[in-house]
Amino acid sequence: MSKPANLTPAPAEAPLDRSDVRMRHDDSIGAMLRASLDKVRSGDLGMLPVVVGLIVISVVFSLLNPVFLLPNNLVNLLFDCATVGIISLGIVCVLLLGEIDLSVGSMSGLASAMVGVLWVNLGLALPLAIFAGLAAGACVGALYGVLYNRLGMPSFVATLAGLLALLGLQLYILGPTGSINLPFASVLVRFGQIYVMPAWLSHLLALVPGAVMVLRGLRTRAGRQAAGLSAPPLSALILKAGLLTLGLEFAVFYLNQGRGVPWMFGLLIALVVVLDYALTRTQWGRSMFAVGGNREAARRAGINVRRIYMSAFMLCSTLAALGGMLSAARLASSSQQAGTGDVNLNAIAAAVIGGTSLFGGRGSAYSALLGIIVIQAISNGLTLLNLSSSLRYMITGAVLAIAVIVDSLARRSRVSHGRA
Amino acid sequence: MTTTTKAMPAKGETILRLSQICKNFGAVSALTDIDLEVKAGEVVALVGDNGAGKSTLIKVLAGVHQPSSGTIDFMGRPASLDSPGKALELGIATVFQDLALCENLDVVANLFLGHEMSPWALDEVAMEVRAWTLLRELAARIPSVRQPIASLSGGQRQTVAIARSLLLDPKIIMLDEPTAALGVAQTAEVLNLIERVRDRGLGVIIISHNMEDVRAVADRIVVLRLGRNNGVFTPDASNQELVAAITGATENSVSRRMERKSVHAQEQTGSLT
Ligand SMILES: Nc1ncnc2c1ncn2[C@@H]1O[C@H](COP(=O)(O)OP(=O)(O)O)[C@@H](O)[C@H]1O
Ligand SMILES: [Mg+2]
Repeated sequence: MSKPANLTPAPAEAPLDRSDVRMRHDDSIGAMLRASLDKVRSGDLGMLPVVVGLIVISVVFSLLNPVFLLPNNLVNLLFDCATVGIISLGIVCVLLLGEIDLSVGSMSGLASAMVGVLWVNLGLALPLAIFAGLAAGACVGALYGVLYNRLGMPSFVATLAGLLALLGLQLYILGPTGSINLPFASVLVRFGQIYVMPAWLSHLLALVPGAVMVLRGLRTRAGRQAAGLSAPPLSALILKAGLLTLGLEFAVFYLNQGRGVPWMFGLLIALVVVLDYALTRTQWGRSMFAVGGNREAARRAGINVRRIYMSAFMLCSTLAALGGMLSAARLASSSQQAGTGDVNLNAIAAAVIGGTSLFGGRGSAYSALLGIIVIQAISNGLTLLNLSSSLRYMITGAVLAIAVIVDSLARRSRVSHGRA
Repeated sequence: MTTTTKAMPAKGETILRLSQICKNFGAVSALTDIDLEVKAGEVVALVGDNGAGKSTLIKVLAGVHQPSSGTIDFMGRPASLDSPGKALELGIATVFQDLALCENLDVVANLFLGHEMSPWALDEVAMEVRAWTLLRELAARIPSVRQPIASLSGGQRQTVAIARSLLLDPKIIMLDEPTAALGVAQTAEVLNLIERVRDRGLGVIIISHNMEDVRAVADRIVVLRLGRNNGVFTPDASNQELVAAITGATENSVSRRMERKSVHAQEQTGSLT
């Protein structure tokens, strides 16, 4: 007589989440590595494509021109990253909902023009001018939100119209001269071009992420154990935090061989951290992912879907305005060219290259940061090679195409592996 | 999580009363003059053929659709269920036929969607513990609550949807074909669960095509046909009566089939002797 397979439930003292015998639990570091590998195989690529891309880019460009990896070139690179990176952060928010904002470039140009006109031409105090720019961004975002929520206008169309209208407004307020120079000695321009952290501060700040990771990990562990849940192994936590700290400290050390870590880049990092917290640890963030994943299900769960769309559009335009004002600071001028050209597409491409899906419901604030570093590295490297902008556009376009292809292939693979 | 001590209605008190509810989708009248009453501690089964309007009725009560006309009284007071959030707030929980889960989120996130613990710093540990307790109650076979819904089977998803409806201490639970994809053990658990929540004084509306399940738990069986009320039965009504009400005729394909079978069986026994 055959006995049924061993069906005895796990012993009572097993953690709540460890009672199903079918589940493989990855408790050792080796097993965790294996689990990550499984994840990648099933199409959950996470940050992998970016990291691989960055390594390839660094190797290729430093072989072609050794200047690329010099500390001061990297410092310049980070200054450039900050402006479009902030714009891209807003793009992450709308992409998470499966929507798009094609007018971020124009919005950034308009905000840069506003700073020039209000501050330099009309003599308004700088903080007020900046506030006005941010408020303009929020209003434009709110308008998109109303068009979307009340009139059902697809964001693609509404923001395409916005692209033209905002550009027109930018040209209008700049007037016939078309360009306003910002004073070099001002805080804004120095922030955009010169200010770097003192070396000791940057080293101190580089310790923070690892420390936070360990502290939060320990607290989560204690909480989970107290609640009778399994806790991830301590060794893995320490290892991850250690590697992270080591990497950051090295990066900071290297940058400090040059001018140092730009404050403007610090601002980008701070915004990324805040947005990441909001997306992963608050109800608002959970609702963003839910609406992006299944709008009707989110509505039926009692989420105010319209408010979520509104918040995302407003956040996106406001961040675009902030990015625009910082790029005015970077260039020390508000001009008709601000926000035109490749700003729009670079911001969108950065989010997608960093791993935020165009289909909604997946992504992270960090994708904007990593994506913009990739894009600016390519653009910087190509500039160093004295390639014309025609070639730069073509190559950046190809990289974006590759990123989108990777995104759709990974999505297909996730569907077949049951990972949505 | 709501920690409000919502007063449970006394047993036998009417929780929900619909009168003359109509719902049109353009030219289609999905519901016409529907009356329905649910009391505390009562299980009402809603039966009817495909397209009879059962799901539409549930969605009206869940605040998903707005009725074209008619009134809804909840706990003796007229209620306007103009959004799903409003219905949830009143204490009307729903397991939708299409489940309405977010496939990109994990089980815990789906269970607590829209009602997360500590909104400004999500309490993942507390939510996970509560998730496991709820799923245990339902004898759910879910290996990990940190898996995205996309990786679960149909039955597992259904269990998650049912667990979610229990989360907010509702006064009335509506289940739209909750056992359609469930295994034997889970179906039994869901029927047990329905009896348990009924004994706790909740009202239950269940839609099912399985007459055996319906008879097992229902106190009343309400039949819908082509968007209209077509009779109210007790669980001891005969199958024939029910089928007649559902299909609208004593002469119907089900009874013909039954007849054919019994004649066939008689012939067989006849030929054997
Ligand atoms: N969103 C909708 N738009 C148009 N017609 C609908 C909609 N939902 C349901 N209907 C129609 O209403 C009728 C009842 O459907 P439903 O309530 O789903 O039936 P069931 O009793 O099988 O659950 C059907 O004829 C269906 O076509
Ligand atoms: Mg139905």
